[in-house]
Amino acid sequence: MIRSKNAGPLTLSFDLMFPTNETFEAAKRAPALQPAALAQLYNVSPTDVIVTPYQAARAIKIAMPRCIVSGSPGDHDVYGAQQHVPLLDLEI
Amino acid sequence: MSAVKALLARQPNVLKVLSASGQLGYGIPEQALAAGLAREPDFIGCDMGSVDPGPVYLGSGEMATSPSITKRDLSAVLIGARKLNVPLIIGTAGTAGAAPHLEATLDMIREIAREHSLHFRLATIRSDLSAARVGLALAAGELKALGGNLPVTQADLDACAHLVGQIGCAPFERALALEPDVIIAGRACDTAVFASLPKMLGFDMANVMHMAKIIECTSICCEPGGRDAMLATLDAKGFALESMNPARRATPLSVAAHSLYEQADPISFTEPDGTLKVDAARYTALDERRTHVSGATWQPATRTTIKVEGSALVGHRAVLLAGTADPRFIEQLRAILVTVEQTTRGLVPGEYEIYPRLYGLDGVALWTQTPGARAAREVFILIEIIARAPELAMAAAKTFKQFLLHQGFSGRQCTGGNIAFPFTPPELVGGPAYRFAAYHVMPADDHEQLFPVSIEQI
Repeated sequence: MIRSKNAGPLTLSFDLMFPTNETFEAAKRAPALQPAALAQLYNVSPTDVIVTPYQAARAIKIAMPRCIVSGSPGDHDVYGAQQHVPLLDLEI
Repeated sequence: MSAVKALLARQPNVLKVLSASGQLGYGIPEQALAAGLAREPDFIGCDMGSVDPGPVYLGSGEMATSPSITKRDLSAVLIGARKLNVPLIIGTAGTAGAAPHLEATLDMIREIAREHSLHFRLATIRSDLSAARVGLALAAGELKALGGNLPVTQADLDACAHLVGQIGCAPFERALALEPDVIIAGRACDTAVFASLPKMLGFDMANVMHMAKIIECTSICCEPGGRDAMLATLDAKGFALESMNPARRATPLSVAAHSLYEQADPISFTEPDGTLKVDAARYTALDERRTHVSGATWQPATRTTIKVEGSALVGHRAVLLAGTADPRFIEQLRAILVTVEQTTRGLVPGEYEIYPRLYGLDGVALWTQTPGARAAREVFILIEIIARAPELAMAAAKTFKQFLLHQGFSGRQCTGGNIAFPFTPPELVGGPAYRFAAYHVMPADDHEQLFPVSIEQI
């Protein structure tokens, strides 16, 4: 499962949940899921991207600042629920 | 004896907590609520708000939910709680929890009580903050943006239509000390709604906060997730979770995964009263539909911190809606929009902002665009215009529409018109537009004075 959602109006968060321990372990090591690669994909600074693996849910959490505060004029996605799409194309 | 007084006197060592709604007012599924009430919970909690729907509700003072469904939901939980004579606690009244939201919710509660001849003690917690109080934190360099970048000045704070502080357990404990049957709170942490009573009863705070964190979203922690009422049973070792919809299973994986939901950090959660860590939590299946949880840790805060939310008016919105399917127009659309904006600004003077969204190209994306993406067959054009006065926003929208319709471009065939309108008028009034001007954390050593509690006999 790959999803995105605001974690408050200033933060975009992504959840990646894996079916097995093997895929979870591989994802943790994948260059595409390191802050530098993710920062490029979302046009933010690498130091602002936080990647946290969570073993109990076989999941990786990614958090980064939103480029526009949720609901401000010109926003594209108030809930942040459709920003996961570039992650669908990543290869682990 | 009031419901809270009776529960505190009884001092149960097993506590059944019913989470009836994660956002009251959209329609509480009836069957699951009835099943939950049949289990005779020790108290019922509901969350009624969120920042998810954006800054407009905090700014305008209106609810995101419809009055009729909101009243229906409030009736269901109020009548259910009064029948069982158990406490009912509702947090973040009326979507955003500022004074107008709280008042509207209290009016509904009083109306329902009259209609059903209910009598009870109603406690109220207010969570409005003054710009002057938040300004003290700003001046002291103690106002920190939460999870991103949001510069704020005293002028920004002064411009907020409403400013609220998200309360933790302490104000609820003061309200509970008034021995009410029902508590309606302004802006509140979802966790505090469910954690305050168990905390007063002496249950282990790590288990209490972890339970509260999970059940505030009702059955979202289940497989498949949903909005049905959720029952948590606290004991000396931890807590058990069970959805009141038999089709929803709370499994160790689904419950653990809920830690991720709408959080920047899945392991550590900072609340006004302390920090919950779930990295050592254990999730054990009791059967196919129930999971027992234990092992989280809790570090009480050395200093109370409060999240501050403020929403400020930025102007009035007009929206133009149109579609196009002409391939050459789509190819040159971005350049055409620049030209049409220039023309519009030349003809309609004044200060306004124009924000196009091009659905089919990049209307949804906040991410970096990949060049060379395939051309869209159709594109939906949404033009958002924001001006100080609604008339100016609409004037710009109307002129923009007409020049977009007839703008010339290289290779143009569609001289009848560049765009298709789904209906007429294609320009809509968007109403007042707001922005989150504050989403910050500040220390609040004076939190007892900031959030007054009161009680009334209904």
